[in-house]
Amino acid sequence: MCAADIDFGLGLRPEHYEEIAASPGRVNWFEALSENYMVPGGSPLHWLDRIRRDYPVALHGVSLSIGSIDPLDGRYLDDLKALADRVQPMCISDHLCFTGLRGVNMHDLLPLPYTEEALDHVAERVKRVQDHLGRRLVLENVSSYVTYAASELSEWDFITELSRRADCDILLDINNVYVSAFNHGFDAHAFLGAMPRERVRQFHLAGHTHKGSHIIDTHDHPIVPGVWELYAEAVRLFPGVPTMIERDAEIPPYVELLAELDVARSIATGVAHEVAAPVLSRAEG
Amino acid sequence: MSGANTGSNAGSLGDLQRAFQDYLLVTSDAFQAAVRDTQKADRITLLDVYRDGYALRLIEALTTDYPGLVAMAGPADFDHVARAYIAAHPSRHPSVRWFGRGLADFMATTAPYSAAPAAVEMVRFEWALGEAFDSPDVTPIAADALMALPPDAWETLSFTTLPSLRRSTFEYEVAQAWQRRDDVEPGNLEVARAEAPVTWAIWRPERVSNFRSLDPDEALMLDALVAGRSFPELCEAVAPLTGDDQAPARAAGLLRTFVEGGMIAGFSSGTSAG
Repeated sequence: MCAADIDFGLGLRPEHYEEIAASPGRVNWFEALSENYMVPGGSPLHWLDRIRRDYPVALHGVSLSIGSIDPLDGRYLDDLKALADRVQPMCISDHLCFTGLRGVNMHDLLPLPYTEEALDHVAERVKRVQDHLGRRLVLENVSSYVTYAASELSEWDFITELSRRADCDILLDINNVYVSAFNHGFDAHAFLGAMPRERVRQFHLAGHTHKGSHIIDTHDHPIVPGVWELYAEAVRLFPGVPTMIERDAEIPPYVELLAELDVARSIATGVAHEVAAPVLSRAEG
Repeated sequence: MSGANTGSNAGSLGDLQRAFQDYLLVTSDAFQAAVRDTQKADRITLLDVYRDGYALRLIEALTTDYPGLVAMAGPADFDHVARAYIAAHPSRHPSVRWFGRGLADFMATTAPYSAAPAAVEMVRFEWALGEAFDSPDVTPIAADALMALPPDAWETLSFTTLPSLRRSTFEYEVAQAWQRRDDVEPGNLEVARAEAPVTWAIWRPERVSNFRSLDPDEALMLDALVAGRSFPELCEAVAPLTGDDQAPARAAGLLRTFVEGGMIAGFSSGTSAG
């Protein structure tokens, strides 16, 4: 494979709408935050439709709350389906977490205990969501800061087993692996190595804030070298997976994100050459 | 293992989620016992990432929705009212965009904020702007659509307005002050009391929200128009302020202003519609 086999994307942010529309071609696709476009009309939907004319778009949600003990929110799912019908996204993703219960939305990606009980619960809900949407759901590993005493499985075993039981796909957030590995003291490479190759549909990359004793997933900084190194390994393990960069605060000029995306491209190209070199030398020999 | 929805077992998924949420809402610290210290950080430090983040995320959403209130109140007082609102009104919508919907009513009915009516009006104004921003898209009619109507059509002619149109009456000059919100240090935005209450129209003709004050007879006519009254009834609405003789010309002039301003979505009469 080569880097050209990977589609490189960015998060769609209002600060960049006009530049994106005016400078097509340097990004292969965009990821839109689903809830921001679940509105009756106005500027956000105008720009989403405008940019969708030129680019594939993925829908990425933050409020599905797939792990909550609250009932699934039927109105939310209907709105998401309507948005998907409008956008025809390349995929629909959300996070492996819960965002609240008793009808309250905490607007945070709260981690689940990695237990058999949670596995049963989430797998059943993923199946129902997939039935509602008529397509596979793609679930992202979250950054987390606390470790449940009740957890019985590793996060990677939980995700792997969930994807098997629910027949869903995985959005592998490389930064989140890095952050959680530091916070919980696990081996990030073990996490990547355990992911089922055929279910990894997308990579996320982002920056974070290092607090010394822990790392917070803030999406407000450039990507750090350690995350780039982990990304290189992910590209080796899962070739051809679409990659995107998220920035949600301290939004830089569009050209800075394009430059950061070029770093991802060069890493993927380097990995492609690593992989190709022995094959080429054998062919030449 | 099953029973995910019952939460009947100690340490079950339901128990853990309830305890986690209660910890973030600062109604119970029991969740501390459900998580572990790490080698690098104690559990309280780590739980505070979530507890602090919860409030900060919602304060950020309110800051985005209410820059005029921030300019009036300053960071410390804004933080105070925001945290009080967060405690009283947890978010119940999938999008944080809608979290601030109840802030004006909360401030209007809760001391000490209720003692600052100009701030309450600023919040009502800013929320109306936000609602207009992402209301349904409808293309306003053009003036020539009405010009082509036969004279008898005006006897029964009535109108619909853009879904984004809101009308609010303010005792303070919040709209004028809002336009100065970035020109002053936060906390220094002064809002004068108007000589008399003024009705404002807030609407979005295309992609940018618009607002302007309405003359008293204009406000009466727009009320009647929104209520679906016919053009002769719109003339009656303005007559008490303009006089019967001037009412038809005044109503026609105001109607033209509404149409050219992009407030009118359509019309219908016994013979025509558009």
